[in-house]
Amino acid sequence: MGVQQNLKFDALVLGGGIAGLEAALNLAEQDFSVAVVEKDASIGGKMIRLSKVFPTLDCSSCITTPKMAAAAHHPKVTLLTYCELQSLERRGDELVALITQKPRYVDLEKCIGCRQCEYQCPVLVPDAEQGGLAARKAIYIPFSNAIPQKALIDPENCILCGRCEKVCPTQAVDFFQKVEDFTLTAATAVIATGFEMMPLEDKVQYGQGQIPDVITALQMERLLAPHGPYNRVLRPYDGKEPDSVAFIQCAGSRDQSMGVPYCSRVCCMYAIKQAMLLSGSLPLADLTVYYLDIRAFGKGYEQFFQNAQAMGVNFVKGKVAYVEPGEGGAVRLRYESQEAEGGVQVVEHDLVVLSLGLLPGWTPGASCALSTGADNFIKTVKPKLAPALTELSGVFVAGAASGPKDIVDSIVEAGAAAMEACRYLAARGFKAAG
Amino acid sequence: MAKKKKKTEPAPEAKVGVYVCHCGGNISDAVEVDQVCQHARRVPGVVVARDNMFLCSDPCQEMIIEDLKSGLVDRVVVASCSPSLHEATFRRALARAGANPYVYEHANLREQVSWVHHGAAATEKASRLVAAAAAKARLLRPLESIRVEVQRQAVVIGGGVAGLKAALELGERGLAVVLVEKSPFLGGQVAQLQRLAPFGETAAEVISELTGAVLKHPAITVHTCAEVEDFAGYIGNFKIKVVRQSPAGAVYADRLARLSRSGRGLGEYVPFVGVMPAAIPEGREEFDLEAGAIVLATGFRPYQPRAGEYGYRDFPEVVTLPELIRQLAAAEGAGDTLVLNGRLIRQAALIHCVGSRQIPGVHAENEGGYLNEYCSRTCCSATLYAANQIREQYPKTRIFDFYRDIRTYGRGQEELYTEAARNGTLFFRFEAGEEPQVSRNPHRTSNPLLVKVRDVLTFGEELEVPVDLVVLAVGQEPNDIAHLVENLKIPVGADRFLQEVHPKLRPVEVSVAGILLAGTCQAPFDVGETCAAAGAAAVKAAAILTRGYVELDPFVAEVDLSRCVGTGACVEACLAEGALALVNLEVEGQMVRRAQVNPALCLGCGACVAVCPENAINVQGWTLKQYEAMVDMIVSDEYLEERAEG
Amino acid sequence: MEAEKYAGKILILATETCAYPGADAVGQGHQSYPANTYLLRVKDPVLFPEKFYLDCFAKGVAGIIIMSCGVESPYPGSYEALARRIDRVYPLMKAKGLDIRRLRLTAICTVCTRAFVNEVRQMHDLVSELGPPGRE
Ligand SMILES: Cc1cc2nc3c(=O)[nH]c(=O)nc-3n(C[C@H](O)[C@H](O)[C@H](O)COP(=O)(O)OP(=O)(O)OC[C@H]3O[C@@H](n4cnc5c(N)ncnc54)[C@H](O)[C@@H]3O)c2cc1C
Repeated sequence: MGVQQNLKFDALVLGGGIAGLEAALNLAEQDFSVAVVEKDASIGGKMIRLSKVFPTLDCSSCITTPKMAAAAHHPKVTLLTYCELQSLERRGDELVALITQKPRYVDLEKCIGCRQCEYQCPVLVPDAEQGGLAARKAIYIPFSNAIPQKALIDPENCILCGRCEKVCPTQAVDFFQKVEDFTLTAATAVIATGFEMMPLEDKVQYGQGQIPDVITALQMERLLAPHGPYNRVLRPYDGKEPDSVAFIQCAGSRDQSMGVPYCSRVCCMYAIKQAMLLSGSLPLADLTVYYLDIRAFGKGYEQFFQNAQAMGVNFVKGKVAYVEPGEGGAVRLRYESQEAEGGVQVVEHDLVVLSLGLLPGWTPGASCALSTGADNFIKTVKPKLAPALTELSGVFVAGAASGPKDIVDSIVEAGAAAMEACRYLAARGFKAAG
Repeated sequence: MAKKKKKTEPAPEAKVGVYVCHCGGNISDAVEVDQVCQHARRVPGVVVARDNMFLCSDPCQEMIIEDLKSGLVDRVVVASCSPSLHEATFRRALARAGANPYVYEHANLREQVSWVHHGAAATEKASRLVAAAAAKARLLRPLESIRVEVQRQAVVIGGGVAGLKAALELGERGLAVVLVEKSPFLGGQVAQLQRLAPFGETAAEVISELTGAVLKHPAITVHTCAEVEDFAGYIGNFKIKVVRQSPAGAVYADRLARLSRSGRGLGEYVPFVGVMPAAIPEGREEFDLEAGAIVLATGFRPYQPRAGEYGYRDFPEVVTLPELIRQLAAAEGAGDTLVLNGRLIRQAALIHCVGSRQIPGVHAENEGGYLNEYCSRTCCSATLYAANQIREQYPKTRIFDFYRDIRTYGRGQEELYTEAARNGTLFFRFEAGEEPQVSRNPHRTSNPLLVKVRDVLTFGEELEVPVDLVVLAVGQEPNDIAHLVENLKIPVGADRFLQEVHPKLRPVEVSVAGILLAGTCQAPFDVGETCAAAGAAAVKAAAILTRGYVELDPFVAEVDLSRCVGTGACVEACLAEGALALVNLEVEGQMVRRAQVNPALCLGCGACVAVCPENAINVQGWTLKQYEAMVDMIVSDEYLEERAEG
Repeated sequence: MEAEKYAGKILILATETCAYPGADAVGQGHQSYPANTYLLRVKDPVLFPEKFYLDCFAKGVAGIIIMSCGVESPYPGSYEALARRIDRVYPLMKAKGLDIRRLRLTAICTVCTRAFVNEVRQMHDLVSELGPPGRE
């Protein structure tokens, strides 16, 4: 790694998900220089990890990779991956960010993405990118369409056998790489740090991740992806095709007792989408969605919901209170029905998908003077007239960083945030270097 | 716009350099790179074939640059990893050598050969792919990216929050903006509201802030009572004819009366009117505007229930939500019970999804013969906001809320629902097709209406609720802009809203480049979402306008006038409105009809290429001849066979 | 190459936004497939006239797989126009005594690796069975 003392850009975009990339590209298209700081080893955010997207059912990778490539190749955009923000503060006209480059133990400049190291590495670890359902090596390229296509070592699991170092044709492996801090100054910033899914481990009602056939919606995305862990939909318990799949909506959202009173906004639609995709790959399976309200509010969403019903997906009004292991890998649900006779019902399914709530991807804490709303997402100060505005002058927010949001709403907000940032730059006499 | 040069035969001078990468063994472990080079040297046009461990390294790029600079080669083929990784790298290297970046062709020997094949077959395939690339390279011509000069002005159509916000963003960015509004007022539908859900900002503050800034902005010109009459041109160069005149009929009579009653003047906000920035013109005035980009912000109108729908028009006690909001603003008295028009409202029913979420086969068609199958997105929160307002101010007025699904999805919205449950609003849930029935109350209670419903929440019990007021939560419908749609040739979706190019990735663009969508002309949105969309539309417009030109890929169709006979087949096959046309041209002293491409509109798909009987039209950089040459090389064995070399 | 068996050349027309990156993804996964396949990057296969396909067969190409983006084509309407064209190519192929299965229109996405390999294998098996074009 070269020594990066102080980098200077017109704009800093924090987070390289779809919102961050769209904001960066919009700024760059007006010839402002932009740095995208991403904590993961690849840009693309959650979207690149999805199977297909509602309501168009486009393949998610097919519509994300062109954006990622456009950002990677844009002469005005610099991608800083595997970087952690330490602090962001305003000093006069400038925003100063202190950033840590985490060591990949692979020289970015030298690595040619050939994966020889990956093939040679003897260590197998559960691959978080495949929902833990498949394995990866201790040195690895994050996933097939990652950008940059560069390897990194997972030091927790590396056994220092040195095989990767030997096989690397460009001598890119560097076990002595260190954490490096650098500062980055910019006139304006867009926060696009997205969301994380609520962890399953602390949800007693849902088996704390201990019931093999209770999976999260993101794991289901991987099962449905054409390049997923099994290449088809199988349940993890015994590798059998499930005959009945249930979706539990509001698993941890709209529930004060779970700490998340708000609606996570995308779960209804992704569950409907997943059910529709399942009805294609498992045409004989029974598909049931347990829900309180179906919130299909976006353009074309209600029609999508109606189509799912017409395709035979069962929608059952009821709140699932408890999930426990049943016989032979089955999962038993207890739910309070709002239908027919009502009351508490007990049913079994082969595979259960939890539509877990969405939590902020990043909370500023002491690292910067941004505050959060009661929902812990970044606070906006003018939600009606200028939804991208934060408390800090010159700092804007886009996408799921300011509350759960689907892709199209994230993209629209990214445009709005970029516009605010361009305006802010223009007002301070910044001329785009043409 | 088509250039008149002949461009069919290979340039005699084409000197192709072939560069094959080992990729540090990634390619060379499976492919005999020397052999590929040897084969390549026998391909017509190839003057040099070199290999290297890492072609993407700086010294190797320098080697290619040297070969170009010394005049040894003037076409480059790189055979390495996928073009997605390094095509751009090498095109830039060509540019650094002072060559045209488009005399370059890439062969993919890693992802598509060495990683998927092995043995002799891998080498043979690699050789054939390299030969094909060289054959194409030989036919490549220098290309220039297409530069379209741009009028540095935007026209915004519609003066609601979306139009105002978009105009303001562009004005603040330093761009000239003309805003065209049909009515005498700015503020659109938001001016028909009081407080905005879920946080309670007032419509007055929101609109006053926007109009205040817009009206005093030196870069923004506002025309009210103005409509687009005619339209021509393309991205960067739109021409718009605007007519400004006193609005016909008495559509605005009610608002004008309110305005004069208010005693407020021009530029001032008046509730349920908006802001009138200028007097209504006397005569008729026509003028032309030029624009590089257009933002459409023509908004929505509330769904108007049919007579008899939930008793609307049959019973005066049935009102729509916008009507309720007005009446609430005028409600007098400070008692515990709401009084509207002198009537005590002790019990009120709110009914959701009126004119929204209509299902074919379940619901009756609306008057225009259509169904609104979509969800209107904003009504749940607006309704609950009104419910909470009433419960708070008039605790003795009881509220009964009839819904299908409560869709309080956004920030601060679920809290409205929780609050309603807390403050004693009673909820009833009905299924689609089992909508509540509103009738006169036959029982001799003092409540004039009766709402009957089969309530899901009580497991299908039939319930009757006597009420004094029924409020219909009506959805959003697009405004009637048929004239504009026809003029601008923009697509409309099955839901009658304007249709974006891609509902996920390109939400504010339409298929006509340079025209952008802001707000509820596209789909139902709330004010915050509308302003976000306006910002997104503005940023796209600014990208077109700030540089003064747009640069487009040179991969567009080009007509070979030496072959074109003007059959018009290409025009018919063209998928991009306006990209191809037959025009009168003078060729060798004679006026003839010939095809002409507008490169600013051409998408470069090649639909025209396939249908031309003369092969007189081709996509630059991807011509049919080039593909034929590639196939010839793939099937040929000539360069693979050993020959005595001289 | 598997020397004995006939391995006629298969031409693959792959769209630059969908199937071409899809083929790259197959490579990244090191999923091997028959090597008698030649993939050409195209903006949109709607570009090729009927004659192009017939000429390819006349030149000795044994099979052609058009890997389009399907209805997700970045050029609205192009897939429909392409499908109509291919429907016109089939009778022309028949008239020349060509088995129409030698020409196949599919849609392959950027991560449709299994579908890619399946298509290639099927065409490979087909051309091995049919032999050189025009001799069926
Ligand atoms: C199971 C599931 C299925 C879904 N399906 C769909 C669908 O079909 N259609 C649809 O429209 N939406 C869908 N969504 C929603 C979609 O994922 C989001 O709309 C979208 O990802 C939001 O984009 P974003 O860029 O705001 O956030 P993210 O995608 O979360 O991206 C944020 C980025 O910021 C980075 N980051 C976070 N903190 C920091 C930091 N401190 N420093 C640097 N970088 C940081 C993250 O690593 C990440 O790369 C789905 C969501 C889930 C959970």
